[in-house]
Amino acid sequence: MSGSQTAVIAVASGKGGTGKTTIAAHLALASAISHATLLVDLDVEAPDVLGYFPFAKPAEDRGAVMVAIPRFVEGQCTGCGLCAKSCRFGAILAIGGVVTIDERICKGCGRCVALCPAKAFDEVGFEVGATRLYRSSSLGILEGRMAVGDIRSISVIEATKNKAKKELARVHIRDCPPGVSCPATHAIEGADYVVLVAEPTEFSLHDLSATVELVKGLGLPGGVVVNKDGFGKADIDLLCEAWGLPVIGRVAFNQARAASGAAGRLWEDDRAFMKEIDRVLAIALGVCDPAKRAYP
Amino acid sequence: MTVAFASGKGGAGKTSLSAALAALIGSTCVVADCDVDAANGAIALGAIACVIEPYSAGPGFRIDPGACAVCGLCAQACRFGAIKRIPDTGHYMIVPELCERCGACLDACSSNAVATYEKEAGRLFVSNTRRGMTLVHAELAPGEDTSGKLVRKVRERADVLAGEAALIVVDAPPGIGCPLIASLSGSDLVVIVMEASASGIRDASRLIELLTKMKRNSVAIINKTGLDADMDARARNTLINVGIPVAGEVPFDPALRSIEESGRTWIDLEGNAGEKPRNALRAVLGVVDGLTRKNQDTAGKKERV
Repeated sequence: MSGSQTAVIAVASGKGGTGKTTIAAHLALASAISHATLLVDLDVEAPDVLGYFPFAKPAEDRGAVMVAIPRFVEGQCTGCGLCAKSCRFGAILAIGGVVTIDERICKGCGRCVALCPAKAFDEVGFEVGATRLYRSSSLGILEGRMAVGDIRSISVIEATKNKAKKELARVHIRDCPPGVSCPATHAIEGADYVVLVAEPTEFSLHDLSATVELVKGLGLPGGVVVNKDGFGKADIDLLCEAWGLPVIGRVAFNQARAASGAAGRLWEDDRAFMKEIDRVLAIALGVCDPAKRAYP
Repeated sequence: MTVAFASGKGGAGKTSLSAALAALIGSTCVVADCDVDAANGAIALGAIACVIEPYSAGPGFRIDPGACAVCGLCAQACRFGAIKRIPDTGHYMIVPELCERCGACLDACSSNAVATYEKEAGRLFVSNTRRGMTLVHAELAPGEDTSGKLVRKVRERADVLAGEAALIVVDAPPGIGCPLIASLSGSDLVVIVMEASASGIRDASRLIELLTKMKRNSVAIINKTGLDADMDARARNTLINVGIPVAGEVPFDPALRSIEESGRTWIDLEGNAGEKPRNALRAVLGVVDGLTRKNQDTAGKKERV
């Protein structure tokens, strides 16, 4: 770590349910002992970080995430149809001077508003989700949450990232959504190090490959935590070796951890586990170099 | 008739249960693996690809540094923060991972420096499986931003292959966003896989809220019971409160993992451990039969009118 900039660690996986939230929550707890730390929940479709912190108190009011949606102004349209033709999301229907905008699928890119020769649009805010900052003793927790029924997870993720940037903290731990498409990519982008959480199952092995490809494509350093070690027979180590990616932690599977995880309880008293978390955190922070970020 | 498995939370057991339902029905069904970000249906069912088609998501955009006049209008027009100034050269560039491909920069550019390009964004597969049923699946190229569109292609192909008669089993992605909604299009029944855990119940509750808005028929299977008695009770109560029938419960059992490693599905497991998923899935098929009869009655009535 160099300078006074924030080190950003993203916790990702590919497959869901491998233990991203569990690892992220404990990395944040371990980090908060010696650094000002913000735990950022970017799994905005299924935000579960707060579940681990039942005593967390809201530190701010909920901040609505708004997307600027075009609104058709009657009487100005010349019927050219340029708005509908230019919309890449199929959100505009223009028939003979009547323009209908599907505000549920409009991404608010503003292209139609800028293009319209008759200036027949103004813009109104549409709420797609919310962010909220919480505190649990010394740890800051920032949650992004997409509204149910919405599809603009990206807008909520980016709004949460932007809000996180304004928080003065030495370390940010991001809990990312599963998958390798837009939500996961946006959640990982801008991080200095990626902790990939895998489990030794064929499903996880397959999905990890795609995530490694994504992380390598972004040019980010990363390492793998093998969670539920011993639960299955898939060889995560071999894959990591092939990709030239270090295994930076191992969490053995046992029934007690599975039960405690199901109940959503923190594993702070699990000393072997917390030791492993400390190790992962030290490795990640050792590699983090915010000065090397491609886009400051 | 289309049955979709969804959960909200990842790792709740959607793929395992949908593969087991397909195995229970046999070779006549068509499986649509709509989790194109993390497609595991092919592993669960033992698939050999027969048809492989490239998938193109439509043009992407890039800036030609030679033509860039460094006016910055593109960056001003981009609402997604995807256009950055390269510190060394001063030119602007589009970060592909952040670009939503809306084209606002193309219109804004003062020097025609924004060009479009086509690239393969993934692949669609139609496969034969060990059990004989057809599997439609896809793989999205990592970092691509159009999983919803690829999901629609998987669904459409499954519809064509299944025709009128065959049952389609959909394995939906986690979350409640665009790819999930695309997966559920045209589904007659949604099987909610609720993991009996704090996060599993929370995420499934958000899914149920969405399904209520979408007015979908649903049944639930509670998975990984027996780890925490409170969570088991909470899962049951949550479903009772929203009036969603429970087709069955599947206790957490490492033997279920082992049977998958040997290339079989949960219904192949002998004894009590296999009996639970078998019974739950038979109950799901019972609901499917009921819906099919109801549809036939409605169709019959319409014909008589």
